[in-house]
Amino acid sequence: MAGGREVRAVLVALVLLAWSAHGLYFHIGETEKRCFIEEIPDETMVIGNYRTQLWDKQSESFLPSTPGLGMHVEVKDPDGKVVLSRQYGSEGRFTFTSHTPGEHQICLHSNSTRMALFAGGKLRVHLDIQVGEHTNNYPEIAAKDKLTELQLRARQLLDQVEQIQKEQNYQRVRRRRRKAPGRYREERFRMTSESTNQRVLWWSIAQTIILILTGIWQMRHLKSFFEAKKLV
Amino acid sequence: MLLRGSGTAGPWGWLTLLLVACTARASEITFELPDNAKQCFYEEIVQGTKCTLEFQVITGGHYDVDCRLEGPDGAVLYKEMKKQYDSFTFTASRNGTYKFCFSNEFSTFTHKTVYFDFQVGEDPPLFPSENRATALTQMESACVSIHEALKSVIDYQTHFRLREAQGRSRAEDLNTRVAYWSIGEAIILLVVSIGQVFLLKSFFSDKRTTTTRVGS
Repeated sequence: MAGGREVRAVLVALVLLAWSAHGLYFHIGETEKRCFIEEIPDETMVIGNYRTQLWDKQSESFLPSTPGLGMHVEVKDPDGKVVLSRQYGSEGRFTFTSHTPGEHQICLHSNSTRMALFAGGKLRVHLDIQVGEHTNNYPEIAAKDKLTELQLRARQLLDQVEQIQKEQNYQRVRRRRRKAPGRYREERFRMTSESTNQRVLWWSIAQTIILILTGIWQMRHLKSFFEAKKLV
Repeated sequence: MLLRGSGTAGPWGWLTLLLVACTARASEITFELPDNAKQCFYEEIVQGTKCTLEFQVITGGHYDVDCRLEGPDGAVLYKEMKKQYDSFTFTASRNGTYKFCFSNEFSTFTHKTVYFDFQVGEDPPLFPSENRATALTQMESACVSIHEALKSVIDYQTHFRLREAQGRSRAEDLNTRVAYWSIGEAIILLVVSIGQVFLLKSFFSDKRTTTTRVGS
């Protein structure tokens, strides 16, 4: 019976594999919008794969695939400008490349015209987001450029090092761009701290002045009051 | 488990290895958790896979969140309340759907941004035929070790970036708090000093009337 148990375990694993083609999943309501943030340096490619399943009230389970179900994907760059805004089917793949470094926001919400289907109100979304060098498909690159094993490994290492360099540049900021300074992180951090320092300084000076002025006013007002009352 | 029955790795063993290699993946997601909300993520894991869940709170309130990881039968594998950062490694004891949830239900009005990295299995090798009998050449094994080292560099970079984001968020919080506090303090100071004067005046006006009555 050990053989039978083995077979069963492998079959279960096979079934799981067939279903988990996209790994991580979560549940979303009908009109709910889920946003994910990706903080990336510039010229970085991001690929997202998703698959949706609709909850079927009758069979009390998720249907394998539902045609006509759509997801609206919206990607905004750090300045709030929309980079990508498209409607995809129940299964889709979206790609974008960042042109400005910073926090990009990827928002997903379902956009189905057949609202009657949403009686159950639950949607299962499988999502997989790959960033930077994880987007490279090495077997494909090897086939296309006809690289040997060693050359492919060297290419992979080069891509990794490039990603590390980009991230470090993003963190530090060597060059100034023509747009507003302090767009990059460490500079922004420094500017925030300096602004706090300035505010504390101005506030203490202003506070002292206000104190002195109100003290003077108080004394003068009371003095004139007492003189009027003929107490002094 | 599957290799137990046979002396050497039989066909089932290789199939399992292939399956495990195929299901290996890492999901890194940063999402916003609204106040009084709970968000759960699910993943189907094959028995025997080594998994790691790592999370960090980037912005919001006291930078803490509740985290809970449950196995397929509902058994709680990991449960922590109000944690800022943690890393948890476990080996899947059963096949099934594992669920992990982040909860911000203790917070009344602060949104939190949470980052998590859920690694299932080891990274797939560059070449599918990695389980071959011949050993790697020196160059190839050097490349493999450089690749691993660079992966840990990228990992450290991610942590640094998150910590910096957290620090920056705290600095900006401090900045706005200082601004509001100084304005509030100035207003209170003015109100109190003017109020004191008028209060004193009111004391003396009452006394004046009583003394005149006594005098006459």
